[in-house]
Amino acid sequence: MSNNKKVNIFLLIIAVVLFIFLPRFLSGYMVRVITTIFMYAVIAQGMNIMSGYMGYLPFGNAMFFGIGAYVTAIGMSKGLPFLVVVPLAAITAILFSILLGLPVLRLRGHYFAIATIGMSAAILSVVQNATEITGGAMGTTLPIIDKDPSIVYNYFYLAMFGLMIITTLSLHFIIKSRFGFGIRSIKANEEAAISMGINTTYHKVVAWAISAFFTSIAGALYAYWMSFIAPDEVFDVMIAVNTIVIMLIGGAGSILGPIIGAFIIELFAEVAWSAFLEYHLAALGIIIIIIVFFVPKGVTGTIADFIKRKKIRARKKVSI
Amino acid sequence: MGLQMLMNATLLGGLYALMGIGFSLQWGISGIINLSYGAMVMLGSYISLEFFNFFHIDPFISMIMSGAILFVIGAIIYRGLLQPFLKGGIVFTLILTFAVRLIVENIILKVWSADYRTIRLVYAGSNFQLGDVYIPLTKFLTFITAGILIYLTYLFMMNTKIGKGIQAVALDKEGAQAVGMDVEKMYMINFALGTALAGLTGSLWASIYSFSPHLLGPLVGKVFIIAILGGLGNIWGAAAGGLLLGFAETAGAGFLGSQWQEAIGMVIMVSVLLWRPYGLMGKKFFG
Amino acid sequence: MGENNTILKIMNLSKHFGALRAVDEVSFEVKKGEIIGLIGPNGAGKTTLTNLATGAYPKTDGKVIFKDLDISNLKPYQIARMGLTRTFQVVKPLIGMTVEENVLVGSLYGRDKRNTDMKNASKRAKEIIKLVGLENKKDSLVSDITLPDLKKMEFARVLAMEPEVVFLDEVMAGLNPTEVAEASILVKKIRLEKDLTIVYIEHIMKAVMGISDRIVVLHHGRKIVEGTPQEVVNNPAVVEAYLGKRYAKGIKEANNEE
Repeated sequence: MSNNKKVNIFLLIIAVVLFIFLPRFLSGYMVRVITTIFMYAVIAQGMNIMSGYMGYLPFGNAMFFGIGAYVTAIGMSKGLPFLVVVPLAAITAILFSILLGLPVLRLRGHYFAIATIGMSAAILSVVQNATEITGGAMGTTLPIIDKDPSIVYNYFYLAMFGLMIITTLSLHFIIKSRFGFGIRSIKANEEAAISMGINTTYHKVVAWAISAFFTSIAGALYAYWMSFIAPDEVFDVMIAVNTIVIMLIGGAGSILGPIIGAFIIELFAEVAWSAFLEYHLAALGIIIIIIVFFVPKGVTGTIADFIKRKKIRARKKVSI
Repeated sequence: MGLQMLMNATLLGGLYALMGIGFSLQWGISGIINLSYGAMVMLGSYISLEFFNFFHIDPFISMIMSGAILFVIGAIIYRGLLQPFLKGGIVFTLILTFAVRLIVENIILKVWSADYRTIRLVYAGSNFQLGDVYIPLTKFLTFITAGILIYLTYLFMMNTKIGKGIQAVALDKEGAQAVGMDVEKMYMINFALGTALAGLTGSLWASIYSFSPHLLGPLVGKVFIIAILGGLGNIWGAAAGGLLLGFAETAGAGFLGSQWQEAIGMVIMVSVLLWRPYGLMGKKFFG
Repeated sequence: MGENNTILKIMNLSKHFGALRAVDEVSFEVKKGEIIGLIGPNGAGKTTLTNLATGAYPKTDGKVIFKDLDISNLKPYQIARMGLTRTFQVVKPLIGMTVEENVLVGSLYGRDKRNTDMKNASKRAKEIIKLVGLENKKDSLVSDITLPDLKKMEFARVLAMEPEVVFLDEVMAGLNPTEVAEASILVKKIRLEKDLTIVYIEHIMKAVMGISDRIVVLHHGRKIVEGTPQEVVNNPAVVEAYLGKRYAKGIKEANNEE
């Protein structure tokens, strides 16, 4: 293993340890904020594998978040313990991704993005109206954890953190693998990828299933954490929009991008909320435009470009 | 389905048809999935509201102003915001149009608040009868106007130099470029035409229904369904899609209760998407 | 393999785009190890034929038999994995990736199931890159290299798949005479080393003549002549297709005088 890698791993372990002990020094409010950041990072990673690496934007990916939340709520209302419901939620999400993905992912191009918007809206509508099963538009409750609040939010802090670490590591190894090259080839040039023997439909469907898997578990955790969920909250189109913005500002197609992006966006939200209360919608809109115009490759992309330019300049100096 | 229901469905469908065409043109020809479309429709409604409140001008007349203003807004948005990023892929155009929606939504909220607004027309309550069927006057006028506007759009596309230019660019971009056409100008005019149609729809909408920023999202949902049902960039397809949606919603409301109205539309759309992804009319054709 | 060592059989292949017959009942056979030149003026249907053979376009009619198997209805990626591959007239590099990564993808998804794990595939990719002479560019992004190198890379990518038949689609397009000569040498060398069968598509007669064992000539979607380079170059129908009737008449008269 190269020295560079050893240093990176060492730094990562330090960061992980820091984050694990961080709650001791923070208020309950901040712990909850950071838990939300971890959650958004997971959802953004789900989008990252599809859009950042493969070039297929699942605009409606929040549907898996909602599915995860609702399967958890329904399962626990039937008396099933949390740790049993979570795999159920994940499996349900994966099934949806395969059933809905197969017909649409056979095609190339933009259709997928639009289709997912429609699917998400359709699922939202159905959940809102199937009151006997889902509790309807008013929402539904989950069993409250009978413990001290600080224990509860610390538990979910660690759980979300763990989920984020697992998601990020999984993505890291997937992208480096043979399968990962297949995914990246689809984004790079789908026609060429096909001509090289890559079964692109298979890759697209599996990638979406992976995305659905992690996103739904985030939803499951969220539901249990909040003890109450409502359809227009967990299927909210704003989840998707925020996730896309996070992915963009952090840097699509990079492993750490979604995490960095989640921190930046949450930071902005905290600051902007009080400063721009009446204009927070327009503020977000303007932020999006600024990001697209000035930092389209996000933080990680811009840094990578900067490093590349430095290397080229260094090489030029040497050759003179 | 009773005759009254059929009539209601048709009247609604006509308005939806007009609305859907604008979105479908933007998506199918300019290649932009315009998530701010609902906001554009609502702007049309609010513009007519102001003309009505300040100058007592009927929305059927002020719709011309709505159309014109929204045309200009559309051109500015396309040229200034979207054209530079067409090569960036769908992520950018989706998120940029969403940003526009957010900004417009915020403006509407600040100026007019989230309350539902209406335009109280003197003749709003009157209707006439055709046999057993009651036809509200405003809905009837809207239907006729929508039909005329749709036909005018068709004539524009088929008979004017610009209209034919837009069609040419839609059918064969490289060919159009090869004969020296300013392709980007065509895309821009097409996009602006789309927002103009949105504005016109908004004015007509305001003559019948109340409106508020809450409609922003659901309207986009509806035009999605219409575009997907009818195929992209296709005037008559979108018109058919609009009528279909009108029928589906009316029937759904009638038989299942109004809460299922939106769900019905959505489920139909997804089913069509899965079964015939290029829409019921198949891949682009010009009618 | 079937009789005569035939590895690829194109049988009555047709592709109609509405009224336009891009490929019109074309039939020919390719023997294992041959280099078949596929020539014809622009628009003759050469690339369309390639797309049909590799499954990229659905056929209007006809069959494609590869290694005695009817592959007419297989998906393009399946055909590629079986060993029937192609390069593109306008190169299609995997943008955002390096030269080595591009070749690696070919190697990862290539035919030899035993060696599609990362370690072996990487090894094979490195060997191929060395073979075509791109070693000093292997870490460059494809957006940073010249056209001749892009073509070499695409060739390397296809070789990494361990194919049996390669359709080289106008691989000389955009190259200057020196580069064309270099490319021809490279193709010949590799064909021998890797025991390849090549369908060599060109619309420039000269580039194809020195390298092909046999030539198939297309014009307006139909096959008009098939034979050795010598037979083809003097054939009036071919000359007519490229240069018009008057030249063809001249050739006919010259032939008659012999």
